[in-house]
Amino acid sequence: MINIENLNHHYKNKSQEVLKNINLHIRKGENVVLIGSSGCGKTTLLRSINRLIEPVSGSIHINGENILKMPIKKVVRIRGKIGMIFQNFNLIERDSVLKNTLNGRLRHHSSLNTLFGRFSTQDYEIAKQSLKRVGLEDYENERINNLSGGQKQRVAIARTLSQNPDIILADEPVSSLDPKLMREILELLNNICLEKEITLVTSLHFLELAKKYSSRIIGMRQL
Amino acid sequence: MLKKIKQNKYKGLLIGILIIIIYYWAIKGTNTSPVNFVKGLPFMYDFISRMFPPDFSKLGLFLLKAIETLQMAIVGSTIGALIALPLSFLAARNIMHNKFIYHITRTFFDICRGINEIVWGLIFVSMVGLGPFPGVLALAAHVTGALGRYFSEAIESVNPETIRAIISTGANKLQVIIRGIIPEVKPSFINYSLYYLENNFRAATVLGLVGAGGIGMELLTSMKLFKNQEVLTILIIMVLMVLLIDRFSAFIRKKVLKLEKIE
Ligand SMILES: Nc1ncnc2c1ncn2[C@@H]1O[C@H](COP(=O)(O)OP(=O)(O)OP(=O)(O)O)[C@@H](O)[C@H]1O
Ligand SMILES: [Mg+2]
Repeated sequence: MINIENLNHHYKNKSQEVLKNINLHIRKGENVVLIGSSGCGKTTLLRSINRLIEPVSGSIHINGENILKMPIKKVVRIRGKIGMIFQNFNLIERDSVLKNTLNGRLRHHSSLNTLFGRFSTQDYEIAKQSLKRVGLEDYENERINNLSGGQKQRVAIARTLSQNPDIILADEPVSSLDPKLMREILELLNNICLEKEITLVTSLHFLELAKKYSSRIIGMRQL
Repeated sequence: MLKKIKQNKYKGLLIGILIIIIYYWAIKGTNTSPVNFVKGLPFMYDFISRMFPPDFSKLGLFLLKAIETLQMAIVGSTIGALIALPLSFLAARNIMHNKFIYHITRTFFDICRGINEIVWGLIFVSMVGLGPFPGVLALAAHVTGALGRYFSEAIESVNPETIRAIISTGANKLQVIIRGIIPEVKPSFINYSLYYLENNFRAATVLGLVGAGGIGMELLTSMKLFKNQEVLTILIIMVLMVLLIDRFSAFIRKKVLKLEKIE
């Protein structure tokens, strides 16, 4: 499903290598957790997979296609099937829960439809189902800035779910939540991916959580 | 900064002397003197006393002209905002990666903004003749530059992580702008636009002085004919209108911002 070979990366204006000769094969439906100290390159690795970052060299095959060697138009199409969850939720704070969730459906629409805020009834159905799955069906019209951290991350999961993804990349999805919520959110994410056979790659700080919520742990260390 | 000044005893003295020199130079250059001011007081008294009582015989005309001024501000601000809106995306570093287009647009904004409304008024009056229309163009030109600059700065300050989240859903660039950036910048866009509407009304009252329509033109006429009592009437109307517009705009802004929930 995800096949990373000889991946190297260092940021411009910095000579220090962040990723050095990474080789990693992740099978379909696997639940992999990346673990490692702050600054070891977890975010960099995850963002290479959907090419939010352009790695310096190497290859990342997703379903047999090298995402690092394709035109940006195609990258955009592949990204649509890869959900991403962030530590700080990264929602549009002033928009409603439903509107944020609908953003997961953008790839099915033209710019013109988006300009006029048009979505199909199917989109609304999918978005509402996603919200129901994360337990926020009663919050559709609530603004994000009125929600708690746990609720925000649920919205982010619903947005990702609306994409109908094959892969979810979750970058420290629970680092800004309290311990009880950490388990709740990881549990939810795990169950969803299990149900829908979604490949899940998560980065975490705590080994204990990683042991409980993964089928494989990959340790990373700073170079 | 403060530490450094303390470290260097003479630096403070030097800066003090420099400030005194600058003021001396500027006051000398402008003939500013309290003596001249006192000498002028009798003339001022004479000028003001001949304003009373205000002459309201042309009140109707003046009010019409005041309304024309308001109309100029509305149309000018709107045109300026509408031009600035799309262009501001070209002048935002996080959207526009083509440095050439970025700098061209920035420079365009700087030129528009750098030239004062009155100067724009002079330019447009010589291009399209007297009346409110060159006034509208003058306001629009200046506002395009000012709002363009503020808009593009608002766009640049959107959290890149929020933008990344929309990109990660597989949205195209236009969709990222529409769903990721516009909702984030909307309140400040509205806020700046209303502020400039208010500002433009004040600017429009003086535009008449260069023949670009509105109440300022009446002011100029009355002054030239030494009709000081009419001048007073016009000044009263101007002040009242400005006060009214300020209040109204503050009220609207508060409403809008409340709606957008930014405290
Ligand atoms: N945009 C960037 N420009 C330059 N250097 C960067 C950039 N992003 C990350 N780095 C550097 O690359 C290294 C790896 O960063 P990365 O964010 O991938 O680590 P991480 O494992 O996700 O850390 P954390 O657990 O704190 O999130 C760090 O040394 C960081 O300073
Ligand atoms: Mg990180």
